[in-house]
Amino acid sequence: MEQTELMDRMKEKAGLVQALVSTVTGMEEVLGRTVGITLGQGGKTIVAPGLDPENLQRLEDLCRAAGLTVLYPPFRPHLSAIHTALTPADWAIAETGTLVLDSDSEDLRIATMLSETHVAWIPVSRIVPDTAALSARLIEKMKSGPGYLAFITGPSRTADIERVLAIGVHGPQELHILMMEEP
Amino acid sequence: MIQTAKDMKTYRKKIKAALKNKFLRKALDNFASSYKASRAKAFEGMDLSALKGEIAQGKDQALTVLEDLYLRFKTGAEASGAVVHLAKTAEEANEIIARIARDNKVTSIVKSKSMTAEETHLNDHLEARGFQVTETDLGEWIIQLRHEGPSHMVMPAIHLSRGQVGTLFSDVTKTPVDLEDIDRMVKVARKELRPAFLSADMGISGANMAIAETGTLGIISNEGNARLTTTLPRVHVALVGLDKLVPDLAAALRILRVLPRNATGQALTSYVTWITGAVECGASATGKKILHIVFLDNSRLELARDPVFSEALRCIRCGACSNVCPVYGKVGGHTLGHVYIGAIGLILTYFYHGKDNARAIVKNCLNCQACKSVCPVNIDLPFLIKQVYRRILADEGSKPVKNTILSAVMKNRRLFHTLLRTASALQGPLVKKEAGVLRHLPFVFGKAHDFRTLPALAEKPFRDQWPEIRPRIQNPRFRVALFGGCVVDFVSPEQALALARLLAPHRVQMEYPPGQSCCGLPAMMMAEEETAAEVAVQNLEALEPWRYDYILVLCASCGSHMKEGYSRLLAGKPELAEKLRSLQDKLMDFSSFMVKVLKVRPEDFIQNQRRVAYHSPCHLCRGLGVTQEPRELLRTAGLDYAPCKDEDICCGFGGSYSLEFPEISAEILGQKLDHVEATGADVLVTDCPGCVLQLRGGMNKRKGRVQVRHIAEIVAENLKAP
Repeated sequence: MEQTELMDRMKEKAGLVQALVSTVTGMEEVLGRTVGITLGQGGKTIVAPGLDPENLQRLEDLCRAAGLTVLYPPFRPHLSAIHTALTPADWAIAETGTLVLDSDSEDLRIATMLSETHVAWIPVSRIVPDTAALSARLIEKMKSGPGYLAFITGPSRTADIERVLAIGVHGPQELHILMMEEP
Repeated sequence: MIQTAKDMKTYRKKIKAALKNKFLRKALDNFASSYKASRAKAFEGMDLSALKGEIAQGKDQALTVLEDLYLRFKTGAEASGAVVHLAKTAEEANEIIARIARDNKVTSIVKSKSMTAEETHLNDHLEARGFQVTETDLGEWIIQLRHEGPSHMVMPAIHLSRGQVGTLFSDVTKTPVDLEDIDRMVKVARKELRPAFLSADMGISGANMAIAETGTLGIISNEGNARLTTTLPRVHVALVGLDKLVPDLAAALRILRVLPRNATGQALTSYVTWITGAVECGASATGKKILHIVFLDNSRLELARDPVFSEALRCIRCGACSNVCPVYGKVGGHTLGHVYIGAIGLILTYFYHGKDNARAIVKNCLNCQACKSVCPVNIDLPFLIKQVYRRILADEGSKPVKNTILSAVMKNRRLFHTLLRTASALQGPLVKKEAGVLRHLPFVFGKAHDFRTLPALAEKPFRDQWPEIRPRIQNPRFRVALFGGCVVDFVSPEQALALARLLAPHRVQMEYPPGQSCCGLPAMMMAEEETAAEVAVQNLEALEPWRYDYILVLCASCGSHMKEGYSRLLAGKPELAEKLRSLQDKLMDFSSFMVKVLKVRPEDFIQNQRRVAYHSPCHLCRGLGVTQEPRELLRTAGLDYAPCKDEDICCGFGGSYSLEFPEISAEILGQKLDHVEATGADVLVTDCPGCVLQLRGGMNKRKGRVQVRHIAEIVAENLKAP
């Protein structure tokens, strides 16, 4: 499948499960969007596990200017204080609109589970058509010792009361997927 | 506390109470409709039947090496820092988990949804030992607060209204909750349960898949509670049925392709979590998660070796067999299951929770095949349900009197037919002549059976009429035998006469082999397998399939039983294999014969465009897989076919089912007739005399204006004079 086709499909399928998908051109835009989303929701804090030191510094600068706080690992002391989690995704599966996150790091797990809003960026070259296309890598990962691998498809949801769909039970109430086109 | 009726008297009471619950019926009804649509959409463009076959085959293969898979899993998971246990019984599993909790000085526990933990009644066990256990799946939390069991395997609280949940939440939080606002209620749960996650020492989860190759658990969830349960507390215990073991990731991914789609019509759940061994955990003194995986046997290994029942272990707990079950739709899961709900529940209860809990519920199956056709792993659920019933009868060593009588009579065709003829002669004073129905029900029936009129027996059965009227066709194109079945022969010979009228102009020589008897399905339904096998042999001998080009049936139930059931019944008789194959190859339903073989044309019929609705008999559309031909035939025969809601849902007859559970049968029938009346049709057509009996009886009783006819009759009526 062509890359644009994969992106379209990813956008369509993730959109069907209430993920908010957009395209960005680089890390600068990722950081800017994250701050904007957080401000828009009245959030105060951002965690960003998986961000390299240079970008983390840029995020810190942006947040300071916007009156937001970047929280630093370990996140256990901040379990109830995380508004936005900004994380990379390792892969995306277009067929179902799924993000795949290698979540061995406890901080990454806490960020993606306990935040109100999860913003994930995914380089477009890492979008694959279906799970089968990833299976060799998944097996490799599972065979390489202790691990926690997460498939995330849309925000947390339930239909346990009268089968009415409600978003945001125990996990993030919003999931933003930023498909990042490499220059 | 789950209270399952252990005898029929208590069970009937429970059913009556459930039927009074209007909210439940409406909720389940809406669900059944929307499920059908969303499931179809979810599988769009996929080769579902191939996928089903692959998964079933993979599961069967895995079941032969379960102990091996367990050992491989254990090796893999323990190499990654987990401790893997095998519990022989539910009690043992609970004790292992309580011991892990004690050893790790646990006081509070959060749980994510696990049917296996429901199976072992784990919460009761832990709470009795002083541990504080909080269910965190929204539905499970609700039923935990209400001290109930789940009423659906995937949606445990589907039996409750928003008002009931809102009131419950108001009580629990001591703050008023808007009884309409479901979003708010969900946020209440989010807020109330968050502290439980943050303070828990131990998390208990189930698992949907356990991958032997890598020692990995796969957990499917929508809410995100399973992720929190397996991440925040320092101890994680997973309780997993041995049947969840799969050899490799490929097998797990196959299950993942169908499970969410078949369960809720989702392409994928919000979260799928793959855990291999003990990962980083800041709450643990060692910095590593304390991970215990407890596999539960609880008779699974024995079941895996059982030649008949092993396929029940293919179940992946999607809950779809409840979603499509007409009985479930009327009475809900608390009345159709013990811990496990719906068709699979009727089977597993016997093995996991004993015959006392299975005794009454196992009878509550219409044999409509809806569950079998929706099952993603091809479990023959209706068949296994009857097999469980048979086991229970054997265990108890005493059979109901009706079973003994039925068997004695049915094995002897002459006796059976003599009794029917005698009854026909004696019923005179009971019969309303012009209507052909009984004036009132014979004394053996109670008031509950008064939801339909019962037809009178024919004055002269078809078998006695046939020798006098049999046409002789010169140079016939086809020679066909009619297998009539009891209802056509002794109650509705007009259906066979209609067939004869239709065949003659096409130069088809029809015969009615006189040695034929009941097809044997009623015996199967009463778990009298030996009797069913005996009549199968009698029919095979009587029909002499080699003499005919086709063997026609007017009764879909007889047809599907002969086509599928006979193979099983006669599997031990290789000397009959050739004959059986010939019978099954030549067997055809009425509509298919008219459309595909005789290729009838519109010009053969008066095109009067009478408006007709159609009921698709269970054993035709699912049993024989015939769906298009009857509808096409109606159009060809000059009728205006008006599609009706839920045409392929059972009419509630189910043979002896409607005698055993008249209240449920009446409810299902009532809804069917409502749908039919809504089409504005003058005639309701179907192709099974049993359905005709039920539908006509119900229509008579409600004094409806829609006539109910067998498709052969209505088509013959429109035949142009030669």
